[in-house]
Amino acid sequence: MTTLVLDNGAYTAKIGYSHEKVSVIPNCQFRSKTSRLKTFTASQLDEIKDPSGLFYILPFQKGYLVNWDVQRKVWDHLFGKEMFKVDFSDTSIVITEPYFNFTSIQESMNEILFEEYQFQAALRINAGSLSAHRYFQENSSELCCIVVDSGFSFTHIVPYCRGKKMKDGICRINVGGKLLTNHLKEIISYRQLHVMDETYVINQVKEDVCYVSQDFYKDMEIAQLKGEENTVMRDYVLPDFSAIKKGFCKPREEMNFTGKYKTGEQILRLTNERFAVPEMIFHPSDIGIQEMGIPEALVNSVNNLPEEMQPHFFKNIVLTGGNTLFPGFRDRVYKEVRSLTPTDFDVSVVQPHNPICYSWEGGKLLSENPDFDEMVVTREDYEENGHYICEEKFDI
Amino acid sequence: MVEKKIAVRSQDANQRRVLDRATRQRRLTRQLDALEKDNFQDDPHASLPQLAKRLPQFDESNESGKKRKKTRGDHFKQRFRKNFQALLEEENLSVSEGPNYLTACAEPSKLPQRHFCAVCGFPSNYTCVSCGARYCCVRCLGTHHETRCLKWTV
Repeated sequence: MTTLVLDNGAYTAKIGYSHEKVSVIPNCQFRSKTSRLKTFTASQLDEIKDPSGLFYILPFQKGYLVNWDVQRKVWDHLFGKEMFKVDFSDTSIVITEPYFNFTSIQESMNEILFEEYQFQAALRINAGSLSAHRYFQENSSELCCIVVDSGFSFTHIVPYCRGKKMKDGICRINVGGKLLTNHLKEIISYRQLHVMDETYVINQVKEDVCYVSQDFYKDMEIAQLKGEENTVMRDYVLPDFSAIKKGFCKPREEMNFTGKYKTGEQILRLTNERFAVPEMIFHPSDIGIQEMGIPEALVNSVNNLPEEMQPHFFKNIVLTGGNTLFPGFRDRVYKEVRSLTPTDFDVSVVQPHNPICYSWEGGKLLSENPDFDEMVVTREDYEENGHYICEEKFDI
Repeated sequence: MVEKKIAVRSQDANQRRVLDRATRQRRLTRQLDALEKDNFQDDPHASLPQLAKRLPQFDESNESGKKRKKTRGDHFKQRFRKNFQALLEEENLSVSEGPNYLTACAEPSKLPQRHFCAVCGFPSNYTCVSCGARYCCVRCLGTHHETRCLKWTV
């Protein structure tokens, strides 16, 4: 019996057999202006030569699975012969779902996994629980940890004690990578170049040039300076998908501070956008979302938990999810949490080597755990007892 | 030149339309909703004639021969077509006990609100009288009036 681990994110699916490596694949479909008859699914994105004006069809809305037609197409592609060639009669699946997932979504998921695909056994679990599992395996002396999962749709802060999530401490900030990309698109379109249709390109810009500021107002001052002194400013060369396949930052020594280049490429000039965009995760109120940022929400969440546990959380903060890859993210979280907590508490913020796949790796470890067979629901179980048995067994 | 600069700010206050709080809030909500959108452009397939949809696609031709057992009845199909808002209402969370999707949302920050120029993004000290947007200097205010202020863009 093999086990397939699928961290089913709203933007990318992290998928792989438990004895193999993980693949990160877009969990959506695409349409392109250039190929007008075809809808591309998941990894077929690579076939699109000109992804300008790329149209996304996403199965998730606000982090919850709502468009099953799209999700089925993506899964058919992932499980099918083009990719993982799943032999359903000999495979169990570990699949993730968001916190406080809706009952009807869970039931639909059970039905599709057991009845349509006919997996032999399934385990539905929160991605953060897999991350926590991995963390506890590596740090077996620790009793508690608090997982910060900042993904595409939102950011969750979830305390775990001895492997169990503490529901009362779960906190969601409605800021994720999608909102950041859309915001960047919006301000670039208003200030210099209309890019509202270029989600794909601007997402790349975001990943290439944005960073988390360590001293926000100081960076603001630097970003206002003229010429050479403005060390924040970057000129980003946009791709034209013929000569330039992928956008890139002009090296500093090639930068022309007047902003006029003789070469014909299209340039975006970025100053405060570079750090004001990721700043949304730390101060959502800057764009009018009246919620706490990560450090404040984290400290607030821990302070509502039993007092004797609190020091354990502060010294085991784990960062996962794509947004944590912004340079400076970890240092900023550390700095702010440190300043918000009493000095006699240790604060430690861990950023895993690969924060995107950390929970997938947790799923891999879990599937090798001797208790794993106890945790799953088998197809016979499901056929005998229906949704009830899933509700009983899964800690969701 | 000097005259033009003054003109931006010294319009007669009585003649200026001022948005009330509810309208400002509505505009903000609209802006935030826009940030949740998947795409801003139209579906490139939307303009195609319906017929095009029935044309065989290369990747589907070999699959359609043996389709997996179908469990989707009409009722099933309907359940799969609910948007987020409908699902959220169906859960009826406002009356349920214990932590749930609604209670898990982060509380409002206790830190003071920070203000940034709606035009250039730098820290701002001034508020547009008409619409409540922030601006940092006369130049940005001019741009703001010309492009956004009482025009319903984005």
